[in-house]
Amino acid sequence: MGRIIEEIYVWRLPVRLYHWINALCTVALFITGLYIAFPLFNPPLGEAVFYRGMSWWRFIHFAFAFIFIANFLFRMYWALFGGDKYARFGGFRPWSPSWWGKPFLEQVKSYLFLRSDEPNYVGHNPVAALAHFLFIFCGSSFMIFSGLAMYGENNPGGFNSVWFGWMIPLMGGSYTLHWAHHLMAWIFPIYLIMHLYAVFRHDVVDRTSVTSSIVTGYKHKVEEEPA
Amino acid sequence: MQSNQTFADVFKAGGVSRRDFLKFCSLTSVYLGLSPSMVPSVVAAMEKKPRTPVIWLHGQECTCCSESFIRSSHPTIEDIVFNLISLDYDDVLSAAAGHQLEDVRRKTMKDYKGKYILAVEGNASTKDDGVYCMVGGDSFLNTLKETAADAAAVIAWGACASFGCVQNAHPNPSGAVPISDVIKDKPIVKVPGCPPISEVMTGVVTHFHTFGTLPELDRFGRPKAFYNTRIHDKCYRRAFFEAGQFVRSFDDDATRKGWCLYKMGCKGPTTYNSCSKIQWNGGTSFPIGSGHPCIGCSEPNFWDKGPFYTRLAEVPFLGSDSNADKIGVIAVGAAAAGAAAHAAVTAVKKAKSGSEDNDKA
Repeated sequence: MGRIIEEIYVWRLPVRLYHWINALCTVALFITGLYIAFPLFNPPLGEAVFYRGMSWWRFIHFAFAFIFIANFLFRMYWALFGGDKYARFGGFRPWSPSWWGKPFLEQVKSYLFLRSDEPNYVGHNPVAALAHFLFIFCGSSFMIFSGLAMYGENNPGGFNSVWFGWMIPLMGGSYTLHWAHHLMAWIFPIYLIMHLYAVFRHDVVDRTSVTSSIVTGYKHKVEEEPA
Repeated sequence: MQSNQTFADVFKAGGVSRRDFLKFCSLTSVYLGLSPSMVPSVVAAMEKKPRTPVIWLHGQECTCCSESFIRSSHPTIEDIVFNLISLDYDDVLSAAAGHQLEDVRRKTMKDYKGKYILAVEGNASTKDDGVYCMVGGDSFLNTLKETAADAAAVIAWGACASFGCVQNAHPNPSGAVPISDVIKDKPIVKVPGCPPISEVMTGVVTHFHTFGTLPELDRFGRPKAFYNTRIHDKCYRRAFFEAGQFVRSFDDDATRKGWCLYKMGCKGPTTYNSCSKIQWNGGTSFPIGSGHPCIGCSEPNFWDKGPFYTRLAEVPFLGSDSNADKIGVIAVGAAAAGAAAHAAVTAVKKAKSGSEDNDKA
């Protein structure tokens, strides 16, 4: 292993905090969400008033959901106004054909083993940016909007019902909305697998210490060992 | 003249006391969700306004809406309502038939142009010019368009007229569409349910009669007074839901104890209706009260939303044995397999390039 020749401070504290809160919330939301769909445990026979078999799970789901939303909004704020060059939307322009051009194709080819060398990015590479946009931005937005629409269902005319209730007719009814929320939840474990794999692989192949960078904030450039 | 009678006149002629008439007005206001201060307006409307003529058409349907309507609760009062709506045309209930009856419809359309209510039970077949539903020698599609043209407002009775129901469930052989797809230029009140609750039906008619306007509608065009809340939120078994006490099979102890039917596929949490409030047959019971999960009959396309007795809908385009979780598990497995394969190729490539480097050295 070669000498570390450069330390780059990539992930500033707000980004790292966002990342870990988001990771915790996503896991908690996925597990409690599945439990709400399939309540496994049966309390012993007795008065309903003594048990919280479902309401606790729902409470945890809602509590984490609101943390998740606040965290998401904070990240949006940071991306737009944080002035953090590795955490903003800048450069991600999927509506422009040129964005899909050379850097993106190079990265895709590298992932498909069509190139031997790895393009090196300090922040997100274009493929990662696209994945984050689809899974994290679009996916989270959908889960937040559909979730708030369902949360507002028990209080017709209330804030959530007025501002997010339009999701219900959009999805063709409350049942379809629940179903879509449930189905879309699965993108998070899929994303998690791809994310962890990509991080570990980049760490092994590029040796940029990307894995520890989300704890420490620093990535490293390592001197190539003389052959 | 029957056509100029007010509700109050008909009550009197039928030997109903003033006291019972006022009781009826109060009950109607309650069903409409009005405040007690509105009762005098209901009384005034019933006393002064001539009855609103109603033309009641039947398309592709099973007549369960009519059955529900004539079995209204509180028999004495609801029977009066049934007798009192100026039901000028109803091909199921009318004594007249054939051309005679069709003439009555045309006469009402002419005499009360722009004033009558068109109540539609069932929906229209649109495939092959609507030949799959012929009523009175013409396609129901034509009759519907013709009768709707001069109506003040349209009421879509039941799941068929509102959302399509079983006729437009997959694969919809007759091209059945909800009437809102046929009638575009009239206000439509959707009163879904298979059938709707009778008091809901009479309540909607009375609202129009009383105020001359349609009731306040929700995003699906259903009257908010009856379809604003979910069955789940007013369900008397809700406590068992929150406690996590569920029926797991129809012959277990929990069934006898009347626990929550959520795991038996109850659609109460996603169904907007008044069943858990007004209930059925004079407040006798409702499906969940009788130990059966709600099937969500007042929701759009409820026939296509998977088995009635399981929680998760099947995914229609992927065969009959797949649901959201199976798709999810398969996709996660595919992602994991893809990552593993990619890792393997990476390792092989690396080993190869490593050995090449060694060879060079």
